[in-house]
Amino acid sequence: MPGIPSIISTFFSIAAFAVTASLAVLLFSKVKTVKNLNEKIDDLEKSLDEMDEQAKLIVRTDVELNKAQEELAKKITGLYALQRLARAISTTLQENMIFKMIEPANLEDLGFELACGFLWNDKERRFALYLNVGYSEDEIKIVRSSVDADKNFYLELIKNGKTFSPISHPENEALIKRTDDVFDVAYFVVCPILPKDGSKGFLFVGTRRTDISLTEGDQELITILANQMAQALENARLFEKIWLSQQELERKVEERTRALTLALDTVKAISKRKTDFISSVSHELRTPLTSIKGYASILTAEKLGALPAAAKERLEKINAHSDELVHMINDLLDIARIEAGKTAMKTEEQKIESIIDHAADIISIQCKNKNIELITDIQGNIPALLLDRSQIERVFINLLGNAVKFTPQKGKITVRAGLKDNQLQVDVSDTGIGIPPDALNQLFQEFYRVDNPINQQVKGTGLGLSLVKHIIEAHGGNISVESTPGKGSTFSFTLPLKKP
Amino acid sequence: MSIGIGLSTEKDSFLATKDALQRAIKNIRQERVDLAIIFSSIEFAHSRTVKTINSLLGPVPVVGCTSAALICNEGIFKHGIAIMLLNFPQGVYFKTASAAEINSKNAFEAGEELGEKLNLGFKDIQRRLAIILSDGLMEDGSGFIYGIQEKLGGNFPIVGASASDNLRFLRTMIYSHQEVITNAACGILWGGSLNFGLGIKHGWKPLGKPRHVTKAEGNIVYEIDGAYAAKLYEEYLACDVAQLKKELKIVSIFYPIGVYLADKEEYLVRNILAIRNDGALVCQGNIPSDSQIRLMIGTKESCLAAAREAAGQAKKALVSGKAEFVLMFDSISRYMLLGRDAVKELEIVKNEFGSGVPVLGFYTYGEQGPLSAVSYQGKAYSHNQTITLLAIGG
Repeated sequence: MPGIPSIISTFFSIAAFAVTASLAVLLFSKVKTVKNLNEKIDDLEKSLDEMDEQAKLIVRTDVELNKAQEELAKKITGLYALQRLARAISTTLQENMIFKMIEPANLEDLGFELACGFLWNDKERRFALYLNVGYSEDEIKIVRSSVDADKNFYLELIKNGKTFSPISHPENEALIKRTDDVFDVAYFVVCPILPKDGSKGFLFVGTRRTDISLTEGDQELITILANQMAQALENARLFEKIWLSQQELERKVEERTRALTLALDTVKAISKRKTDFISSVSHELRTPLTSIKGYASILTAEKLGALPAAAKERLEKINAHSDELVHMINDLLDIARIEAGKTAMKTEEQKIESIIDHAADIISIQCKNKNIELITDIQGNIPALLLDRSQIERVFINLLGNAVKFTPQKGKITVRAGLKDNQLQVDVSDTGIGIPPDALNQLFQEFYRVDNPINQQVKGTGLGLSLVKHIIEAHGGNISVESTPGKGSTFSFTLPLKKP
Repeated sequence: MSIGIGLSTEKDSFLATKDALQRAIKNIRQERVDLAIIFSSIEFAHSRTVKTINSLLGPVPVVGCTSAALICNEGIFKHGIAIMLLNFPQGVYFKTASAAEINSKNAFEAGEELGEKLNLGFKDIQRRLAIILSDGLMEDGSGFIYGIQEKLGGNFPIVGASASDNLRFLRTMIYSHQEVITNAACGILWGGSLNFGLGIKHGWKPLGKPRHVTKAEGNIVYEIDGAYAAKLYEEYLACDVAQLKKELKIVSIFYPIGVYLADKEEYLVRNILAIRNDGALVCQGNIPSDSQIRLMIGTKESCLAAAREAAGQAKKALVSGKAEFVLMFDSISRYMLLGRDAVKELEIVKNEFGSGVPVLGFYTYGEQGPLSAVSYQGKAYSHNQTITLLAIGG
């Protein structure tokens, strides 16, 4: 039988076992928890790493987006600037002002803060500076002398018409480096300015910023700008040329006008002298002529005794010739008076029809003698006109007289009167010998007589048509003539209608 | 307080300065001008501009700097000059000062020098706020701002902007009284009864696994997770160092490094200025060793949302809820990311404060200010990619 100690020891053994067992269970569960936790930590770390990888993807995508956005924003800004510049440049018509349009703000929007513009001066064999943005006076001096030293390079560039930049000529490292140094920039674009006529040049733009890089887009925009400038230069030069030639033209017209005015004044003076001369000579001639004619009349009338037939015949000739002279002198005096404005037309309301009829009556006898048909064709709707009847009758008698004179037997003379273009038009046509074309211009001049057989036979003063012209013009009308030699002539004149 | 802002986009510097000044004088409607603040594009940064201001304005303190683009109520202008004239009521005090040749000095010491100059004469007056305009090409901007903080006090509110030069990255200029100087910084220390609100936000979001900076010194990060630092970018962008160098602008603007500040629960953004041949990253602002960093990514939407947040924060802090004027220091990175939508940020600010409130600012190469902007009691940090809004109340 087991004793108490044995029972106790058994109890303790059992207790120890239980504790051990429970401890083991506890330990087991702890280990499990730790394991679980570790797994969780692993999971967390894993997802954190995954998250970090995702973050990397996000950043990389974001970089691309930002770059694209920046490039786009830059382009848009550049295009806006270019548009502003183009508008300003294209409306500028002065060469040096075109360069002045390139302002710092616009340039900055194009991505540059420095700019120079040069045009070749052929006389001085060097490039002249037209634009400077961003360079101090000292800096630009260096730039100018360097451009002078490298002028052959820039002339070559202009000749080839090519843009020069680190993008366009990446292989040309030495030259790029030299340009960087000369202009003291990090990036640049040099673009030739090539107007069709006149001096060419180049535009330089640059930046000292190293944080941005030059793109093809930048280069494109600057090339467009340089082309715009070339276009504007062409326009400016064309404008200048036109302006200068217009000035020249105006000067010439003025000069001519002055010369013509002077000549006209001279002509007027001469003409006045002539009129005065004719007038005074005619007056002087008329007095002795009147005595001659008077004495001749007395002698012919045999008031001083009978005359031998031969003497009487001679005296009658003297009388007739004196009449012709008087007639001629009267015509001359009339012309002189009309020219001098001394003879005012005594105008009254007159029917043209009655004037023509009267003239036709007077001339009809001559027509009958030569067997010439005289036709008058007068429209019925012609109103009364303000005319000097005796003068207009003179016109008709002169024109009809001429027509009869130069129209052969069995010919035809037509007088037509009608309204045309709000005035009276009268045509006196004949089927006469006509007038040679070269004589038409001088027909209305005083003392001009067409050289033809009839004129050689028949006497005339050469004053009739001149007088006709003066009378028509004094009435405010015009006279002209058309003629075909051998077929006939038409004298046409107009007279204004009475104003309502 | 009376404010008058004038902007001119005339090309000739004399005409532009005269034009801007005349507009500002017309707008201020006060005979006395106490202070002039000037922002201009880089081409105006020469002595003629300063001489014109001095001859037209008389002996008025002038501070300012060059910009990458100007911001004012009328819009955003890449070229031009903007002048703000201020007339303060009784009880508002200010002091201006500048420090030259800062790049040839230790940045921290240069900061201390400017801080000390600003402090002069403020013994019995409650100081409120410092505004600092500094050289935009300074490498150790953080050191400089810490130096100023050291002199003005550990929790003193400092707001600043780094001058810029129309993206040329050649030299930035500071306007200070009769001078326009490069390699310099200037500041205004304000005291007396002045209330203001501040909002600083960037809107960039962390992406990918957190990383550890294993070796860094100042603004140079040598190693990340034991490997050369540039490897981070090589991995994410799938390109080598040579390519990275070429595309540094995009890398820097769109994917800066975010330094996690556990106590603030915020990421401080650091642009990459350069990648060294040994694979080290030169950052704009410091990154301490052992920092936890992330790659950051920005979008237009997150950018504009951050602008709304910053404007809301700055307005909320104003006692009267109404601003007399707003200074807007906006990172050039945001200008480049937003592109044509950049003007939307200005619209957000104008909407928040009311369109009649004068807004003046510029696109910067860096911003400075406390991180927890709500209390703006705290150490100023050097920031990148932020919109920093300083609203001055009556």
